[in-house]
Amino acid sequence: MSTTEAPSPVAETAFAADRAWRLNPQVALRDEAFGALAYHYGNRRLVFLKSRLLVTLVSSLADYPSASEAVAACVPERSHAAYERALARLAASEVIDAC
Amino acid sequence: MLAEDQDTQDIEDVSDEDVDELLVEEVSIDGMCGVY
Repeated sequence: MSTTEAPSPVAETAFAADRAWRLNPQVALRDEAFGALAYHYGNRRLVFLKSRLLVTLVSSLADYPSASEAVAACVPERSHAAYERALARLAASEVIDAC
Repeated sequence: MLAEDQDTQDIEDVSDEDVDELLVEEVSIDGMCGVY
C-alpha cells in the first residue's frame, strides 16, 4: 500500500532577507525599456521586472552577504519593504535562489 | 489631526501594495507554442 502525498505544485522558496541570494543561473535577463524580462529555462516561467532599480538590485544580489544589505545599498529607504516583497516573489518564481 | 494621520497611513499602505504589484509580474507561456 502506498500512501503517496501529492507533491506541492509549486516548490516555493521561502525568502529570508538575511540570507545571501543570487540570480538563478538558469535564468536569463533581457534588458528592456521598462526593466527586464527574466526567463527561467528550467520551469519556463517568464517574469517581468518592471523597474530598472529592481534589475540593478537582482543583478547585484550576489555581491552582498544578504538580500537586506543589497536592498539597503541599492534602494531608497522608503522603498525597502516593497523591494523586499518583490524579491520574495522572485524567490517564489525561482528567478533568484539562495547561495 | 488624528484622522489626517490615519488618512496618510492608509495612502502609504495602498501605495506600498501598488508598488509591490508593479515591480514583478509573472506570465505563463504554457500553451503558447502554437502561436509561433
